Amino acid sequence: MKRLSFIILLLGLFLTANAQKYITKNGYIGFFSSTPVENIKADNNQVASVIDISTGEVVFQALIKSFKFEKALMEEHFNENYLESEKFPKSTFKGKITNLTAVDFNKQGHYDVTVEGDLTIHDVTNKVTVKGGVDVISGGIDANSKFIIVPEDFKINIPGVVRNSIAKTIEVTVAMKYAPVENK
Amino acid sequence: MRVERIIFVMKKSIKIALVSVAILGLGGICVGLYLFNLQAKNLKKAKPDFAITSIDLQKAFEDNEAVSIAKFVNKIIEVTGTIESVKDGEGNITNVALKTGSELSLVICTLSPQSDPAQLVSGNEVTIRGECSGFLMDVLMNNCVVIK
Repeated sequence: MKRLSFIILLLGLFLTANAQKYITKNGYIGFFSSTPVENIKADNNQVASVIDISTGEVVFQALIKSFKFEKALMEEHFNENYLESEKFPKSTFKGKITNLTAVDFNKQGHYDVTVEGDLTIHDVTNKVTVKGGVDVISGGIDANSKFIIVPEDFKINIPGVVRNSIAKTIEVTVAMKYAPVENK
Repeated sequence: MRVERIIFVMKKSIKIALVSVAILGLGGICVGLYLFNLQAKNLKKAKPDFAITSIDLQKAFEDNEAVSIAKFVNKIIEVTGTIESVKDGEGNITNVALKTGSELSLVICTLSPQSDPAQLVSGNEVTIRGECSGFLMDVLMNNCVVIK
Protein backbone atom coordinates (compact mmCIF):
# COMPACT_ATOMS: atom_id res chain seq x y z
CA MET A 1 0.00 0.00 0.00
CA LYS A 2 2.77 2.37 0.97
CA ARG A 3 4.58 1.47 -2.17
CA LEU A 4 1.52 2.09 -4.32
CA SER A 5 0.87 5.55 -2.89
CA PHE A 6 4.53 6.36 -3.43
CA ILE A 7 4.23 5.37 -7.08
CA ILE A 8 1.05 7.43 -7.46
CA LEU A 9 2.77 10.41 -5.84
CA LEU A 10 5.79 10.01 -8.11
CA LEU A 11 3.60 9.63 -11.17
CA GLY A 12 1.64 12.76 -10.17
CA LEU A 13 4.83 14.77 -9.80
CA PHE A 14 6.15 13.51 -13.09
CA LEU A 15 2.95 14.35 -14.93
CA THR A 16 2.67 17.88 -13.54
CA ALA A 17 6.34 18.49 -14.23
CA ASN A 18 5.77 17.38 -17.80
CA ALA A 19 2.62 19.39 -18.36
CA GLN A 20 4.58 22.58 -17.72
CA LYS A 21 6.71 22.21 -20.82
CA TYR A 22 5.62 22.68 -24.40
CA ILE A 23 7.76 21.88 -27.39
CA THR A 24 7.93 22.21 -31.17
CA LYS A 25 10.52 21.08 -33.69
CA ASN A 26 8.60 22.44 -36.69
CA GLY A 27 8.54 26.09 -35.74
CA TYR A 28 8.77 28.86 -38.31
CA ILE A 29 11.13 31.81 -38.43
CA GLY A 30 11.29 33.95 -41.53
CA PHE A 31 12.93 37.19 -42.41
CA PHE A 32 12.20 39.87 -44.88
CA SER A 33 14.37 42.62 -46.27
CA SER A 34 12.77 45.27 -48.41
CA THR A 35 14.49 47.93 -50.50
CA PRO A 36 13.46 49.73 -53.67
CA VAL A 37 15.95 47.51 -55.55
CA GLU A 38 14.82 44.13 -54.29
CA ASN A 39 12.75 42.22 -51.74
CA ILE A 40 14.47 39.27 -50.09
CA LYS A 41 12.66 36.62 -48.08
CA ALA A 42 13.88 33.48 -46.34
CA ASP A 43 11.96 30.78 -44.49
CA ASN A 44 12.98 28.23 -41.89
CA ASN A 45 10.40 25.63 -40.89
CA GLN A 46 12.75 23.59 -38.70
CA VAL A 47 13.02 25.74 -35.62
CA ALA A 48 13.15 23.86 -32.31
CA SER A 49 11.68 25.63 -29.30
CA VAL A 50 10.62 24.87 -25.73
CA ILE A 51 8.43 27.00 -23.50
CA ASP A 52 8.11 26.37 -19.76
CA ILE A 53 4.81 27.86 -18.67
CA SER A 54 5.63 27.65 -14.96
CA THR A 55 8.67 29.89 -15.21
CA GLY A 56 8.00 31.66 -18.52
CA GLU A 57 11.33 30.55 -19.90
CA VAL A 58 11.58 30.17 -23.67
CA VAL A 59 14.36 28.72 -25.77
CA PHE A 60 14.70 28.78 -29.54
CA GLN A 61 17.27 27.05 -31.71
CA ALA A 62 17.64 27.21 -35.48
CA LEU A 63 20.15 26.08 -38.06
CA ILE A 64 21.33 28.87 -40.36
CA LYS A 65 21.46 26.40 -43.25
CA SER A 66 17.74 25.70 -42.82
CA PHE A 67 16.86 29.21 -44.03
CA LYS A 68 15.65 28.76 -47.58
CA PHE A 69 15.62 31.50 -50.21
CA GLU A 70 13.84 31.74 -53.51
CA LYS A 71 17.12 32.31 -55.32
CA ALA A 72 20.01 29.87 -54.95
CA LEU A 73 22.68 32.57 -55.23
CA MET A 74 21.19 34.59 -52.37
CA GLU A 75 21.18 31.50 -50.18
CA GLU A 76 24.83 30.87 -51.04
CA HIS A 77 25.88 34.45 -50.19
CA PHE A 78 23.82 34.36 -47.01
CA ASN A 79 25.54 31.16 -45.84
CA GLU A 80 29.07 31.77 -47.09
CA ASN A 81 29.60 35.52 -46.84
CA TYR A 82 27.17 37.03 -44.35
CA LEU A 83 26.24 34.46 -41.70
CA GLU A 84 29.28 32.17 -42.22
CA SER A 85 27.17 29.12 -41.42
CA GLU A 86 30.09 26.68 -41.59
CA LYS A 87 31.74 28.47 -38.67
CA PHE A 88 28.54 29.45 -36.83
CA PRO A 89 25.89 26.87 -37.79
CA LYS A 90 23.31 27.70 -35.10
CA SER A 91 21.35 30.68 -33.94
CA THR A 92 19.77 30.64 -30.49
CA PHE A 93 17.49 32.68 -28.28
CA LYS A 94 17.16 32.16 -24.54
CA GLY A 95 14.72 34.36 -22.71
CA LYS A 96 11.77 34.83 -20.43
CA ILE A 97 8.22 36.08 -20.68
CA THR A 98 8.37 39.18 -18.46
CA ASN A 99 4.60 39.54 -17.94
CA LEU A 100 3.87 35.89 -17.18
CA THR A 101 1.12 36.76 -14.69
CA ALA A 102 -0.89 38.28 -17.55
CA VAL A 103 -1.20 34.84 -19.21
CA ASP A 104 -3.60 32.17 -17.98
CA PHE A 105 -2.35 28.98 -19.62
CA ASN A 106 -5.44 27.13 -18.36
CA LYS A 107 -7.84 29.39 -20.19
CA GLN A 108 -8.09 29.46 -23.98
CA GLY A 109 -7.59 32.85 -25.55
CA HIS A 110 -5.11 35.40 -26.83
CA TYR A 111 -2.59 37.08 -24.58
CA ASP A 112 -0.04 39.79 -25.39
CA VAL A 113 3.40 39.04 -24.04
CA THR A 114 6.80 40.65 -23.83
CA VAL A 115 9.85 38.42 -24.08
CA GLU A 116 13.30 39.51 -22.99
CA GLY A 117 16.48 37.57 -23.55
CA ASP A 118 19.72 36.89 -25.37
CA LEU A 119 19.69 36.47 -29.12
CA THR A 120 22.79 34.88 -30.63
CA ILE A 121 23.40 35.15 -34.35
CA HIS A 122 26.76 34.88 -36.11
CA ASP A 123 28.37 34.16 -32.70
CA VAL A 124 27.36 37.62 -31.43
CA THR A 125 24.94 37.83 -28.50
CA ASN A 126 22.66 40.82 -27.98
CA LYS A 127 19.98 41.51 -25.40
CA VAL A 128 16.64 41.93 -27.11
CA THR A 129 13.11 42.69 -25.95
CA VAL A 130 10.30 41.71 -28.30
CA LYS A 131 6.56 41.85 -28.17
CA GLY A 132 4.48 38.91 -29.24
CA GLY A 133 1.25 37.02 -28.83
CA VAL A 134 0.43 33.75 -27.15
CA ASP A 135 -2.72 31.84 -28.06
CA VAL A 136 -3.77 29.15 -25.65
CA ILE A 137 -5.70 26.65 -27.75
CA SER A 138 -7.06 23.18 -27.14
CA GLY A 139 -4.12 20.80 -26.88
CA GLY A 140 -1.38 23.36 -27.29
CA ILE A 141 -0.02 26.86 -27.43
CA ASP A 142 0.58 29.05 -30.48
CA ALA A 143 3.08 31.87 -30.27
CA ASN A 144 3.72 34.65 -32.76
CA SER A 145 6.01 37.62 -32.96
CA LYS A 146 7.35 40.14 -35.41
CA PHE A 147 10.38 42.28 -34.66
CA ILE A 148 13.23 44.14 -36.29
CA ILE A 149 16.92 43.34 -36.12
CA VAL A 150 19.90 45.23 -37.46
CA PRO A 151 22.52 43.00 -39.18
CA GLU A 152 25.32 45.34 -38.09
CA ASP A 153 24.50 44.62 -34.43
CA PHE A 154 25.53 41.02 -35.08
CA LYS A 155 28.70 41.95 -36.99
CA ILE A 156 27.17 40.81 -40.24
CA ASN A 157 29.03 42.75 -42.90
CA ILE A 158 27.23 43.45 -46.11
CA PRO A 159 29.62 44.64 -48.82
CA GLY A 160 29.10 47.95 -50.63
CA VAL A 161 28.19 46.37 -53.97
CA VAL A 162 24.96 44.87 -52.65
CA ARG A 163 24.37 47.38 -49.86
CA ASN A 164 21.51 48.95 -51.76
CA SER A 165 19.65 45.69 -52.30
CA ILE A 166 19.78 44.57 -48.65
CA ALA A 167 17.85 46.60 -46.09
CA LYS A 168 19.57 48.12 -43.04
CA THR A 169 16.92 46.58 -40.83
CA ILE A 170 15.47 43.11 -41.25
CA GLU A 171 11.95 42.11 -40.23
CA VAL A 172 11.83 38.78 -38.41
CA THR A 173 8.61 36.74 -38.16
CA VAL A 174 8.21 33.98 -35.61
CA ALA A 175 5.33 31.47 -35.63
CA MET A 176 5.32 28.47 -33.30
CA LYS A 177 2.78 25.73 -32.68
CA TYR A 178 3.69 24.09 -29.38
CA ALA A 179 2.43 20.76 -28.11
CA PRO A 180 2.79 19.54 -24.52
CA VAL A 181 5.85 17.39 -23.89
CA GLU A 182 4.54 13.87 -24.12
CA ASN A 183 5.19 11.33 -21.46
CA LYS A 184 6.39 8.37 -23.47
CA MET B 1 44.80 51.13 -103.87
CA ARG B 2 46.91 49.33 -101.28
CA VAL B 3 46.19 51.96 -98.62
CA GLU B 4 42.49 51.73 -99.31
CA ARG B 5 42.71 47.96 -98.98
CA ILE B 6 44.49 48.27 -95.61
CA ILE B 7 41.90 50.75 -94.37
CA PHE B 8 39.13 48.41 -95.51
CA VAL B 9 40.70 45.44 -93.67
CA MET B 10 41.22 47.62 -90.57
CA LYS B 11 37.62 48.79 -90.61
CA LYS B 12 36.48 45.22 -91.01
CA SER B 13 38.58 43.94 -88.10
CA ILE B 14 37.37 46.79 -85.89
CA LYS B 15 33.82 45.86 -86.81
CA ILE B 16 34.47 42.19 -86.00
CA ALA B 17 36.14 43.15 -82.72
CA LEU B 18 33.21 45.39 -81.74
CA VAL B 19 30.66 42.74 -82.60
CA SER B 20 32.63 40.09 -80.66
CA VAL B 21 32.85 42.36 -77.61
CA ALA B 22 29.12 43.03 -77.86
CA ILE B 23 28.36 39.30 -78.12
CA LEU B 24 30.69 38.50 -75.21
CA GLY B 25 29.12 41.29 -73.16
CA LEU B 26 25.60 40.09 -73.90
CA GLY B 27 26.66 36.53 -73.10
CA GLY B 28 28.14 37.72 -69.81
CA ILE B 29 24.94 39.58 -68.93
CA CYS B 30 22.89 36.49 -69.77
CA VAL B 31 25.08 34.21 -67.63
CA GLY B 32 24.94 36.78 -64.83
CA LEU B 33 21.16 37.04 -65.00
CA TYR B 34 20.88 33.27 -65.19
CA LEU B 35 23.03 32.79 -62.07
CA PHE B 36 21.27 35.63 -60.26
CA ASN B 37 17.84 34.16 -60.94
CA LEU B 38 18.79 30.53 -60.38
CA GLN B 39 16.08 28.94 -58.28
CA ALA B 40 16.66 26.67 -55.34
CA LYS B 41 17.77 23.22 -56.43
CA ASN B 42 15.13 20.80 -57.59
CA LEU B 43 16.25 17.38 -56.42
CA LYS B 44 13.75 15.36 -58.49
CA LYS B 45 16.49 14.28 -60.88
CA ALA B 46 19.55 14.83 -58.71
CA LYS B 47 21.91 11.96 -58.04
CA PRO B 48 22.20 11.23 -54.31
CA ASP B 49 25.61 11.24 -52.60
CA PHE B 50 24.36 8.82 -49.95
CA ALA B 51 21.52 6.33 -49.55
CA ILE B 52 20.93 5.51 -45.89
CA THR B 53 18.17 4.56 -43.44
CA SER B 54 16.83 7.20 -41.03
CA ILE B 55 18.02 4.98 -38.15
CA ASP B 56 21.63 4.96 -39.38
CA LEU B 57 21.63 8.65 -40.30
CA GLN B 58 20.42 9.79 -36.87
CA LYS B 59 22.84 7.40 -35.15
CA ALA B 60 25.75 8.79 -37.16
CA PHE B 61 24.94 12.34 -35.97
CA GLU B 62 24.33 11.28 -32.39
CA ASP B 63 27.57 9.28 -32.21
CA ASN B 64 29.78 11.93 -33.77
CA GLU B 65 28.26 15.23 -34.80
CA ALA B 66 31.45 16.85 -36.10
CA VAL B 67 32.37 13.93 -38.35
CA SER B 68 28.79 13.63 -39.61
CA ILE B 69 28.56 17.35 -40.38
CA ALA B 70 31.68 17.07 -42.54
CA LYS B 71 30.33 13.93 -44.19
CA PHE B 72 26.65 14.75 -44.76
CA VAL B 73 25.92 18.50 -44.61
CA ASN B 74 25.19 20.07 -48.01
CA LYS B 75 25.15 16.57 -49.52
CA ILE B 76 22.16 15.03 -51.25
CA ILE B 77 20.89 12.11 -49.20
CA GLU B 78 18.27 9.52 -49.97
CA VAL B 79 16.88 8.53 -46.60
CA THR B 80 14.51 5.61 -46.02
CA GLY B 81 12.43 5.22 -42.88
CA THR B 82 9.04 4.91 -41.23
CA ILE B 83 6.94 8.06 -41.08
CA GLU B 84 6.49 9.23 -37.49
CA SER B 85 4.40 12.31 -38.29
CA VAL B 86 3.43 14.70 -41.08
CA LYS B 87 3.08 18.33 -40.01
CA ASP B 88 2.14 21.52 -41.81
CA GLY B 89 4.48 24.46 -41.50
CA GLU B 90 3.89 28.05 -42.61
CA GLY B 91 2.60 28.54 -46.13
CA ASN B 92 2.47 25.38 -48.17
CA ILE B 93 5.31 23.70 -46.36
CA THR B 94 5.12 20.15 -45.00
CA ASN B 95 7.54 18.58 -42.55
CA VAL B 96 7.84 14.80 -42.51
CA ALA B 97 9.47 13.23 -39.45
CA LEU B 98 11.05 9.80 -39.84
CA LYS B 99 11.49 7.36 -36.96
CA THR B 100 14.96 6.54 -35.71
CA GLY B 101 16.47 4.50 -32.90
CA SER B 102 15.70 7.39 -30.53
CA GLU B 103 12.23 8.64 -29.63
CA LEU B 104 13.44 12.19 -29.01
CA SER B 105 15.71 12.67 -31.99
CA LEU B 106 14.25 12.05 -35.45
CA VAL B 107 15.04 12.86 -39.07
CA ILE B 108 12.92 15.86 -40.11
CA CYS B 109 12.47 16.46 -43.83
CA THR B 110 11.01 19.73 -45.09
CA LEU B 111 9.42 19.03 -48.46
CA SER B 112 10.00 21.41 -51.34
CA PRO B 113 6.80 23.33 -52.29
CA GLN B 114 6.49 21.27 -55.50
CA SER B 115 6.19 18.03 -53.56
CA ASP B 116 2.80 16.47 -52.98
CA PRO B 117 2.44 15.32 -49.36
CA ALA B 118 -0.96 13.65 -49.93
CA GLN B 119 0.51 10.17 -50.18
CA LEU B 120 2.33 10.41 -46.85
CA VAL B 121 0.72 8.56 -43.95
CA SER B 122 2.16 7.97 -40.49
CA GLY B 123 3.45 4.42 -40.09
CA ASN B 124 4.23 3.93 -43.78
CA GLU B 125 7.72 3.45 -45.10
CA VAL B 126 9.03 6.17 -47.37
CA THR B 127 12.18 7.17 -49.24
CA ILE B 128 12.90 10.88 -49.36
CA ARG B 129 15.68 12.64 -51.24
CA GLY B 130 16.90 15.90 -49.76
CA GLU B 131 19.79 18.09 -48.82
CA CYS B 132 21.14 17.68 -45.30
CA SER B 133 21.32 20.96 -43.35
CA GLY B 134 22.71 19.61 -40.08
CA PHE B 135 21.67 18.55 -36.60
CA LEU B 136 19.77 20.35 -33.85
CA MET B 137 17.71 17.93 -31.75
CA ASP B 138 16.99 16.07 -34.98
CA VAL B 139 18.75 15.54 -38.28
CA LEU B 140 17.38 18.25 -40.59
CA MET B 141 16.83 17.85 -44.34
CA ASN B 142 15.65 20.49 -46.82
CA ASN B 143 14.44 20.79 -50.44
CA CYS B 144 13.08 17.27 -50.03
CA VAL B 145 11.21 15.27 -52.65
CA VAL B 146 9.41 11.99 -52.08
CA ILE B 147 10.94 9.16 -54.11
CA LYS B 148 8.62 6.31 -53.06
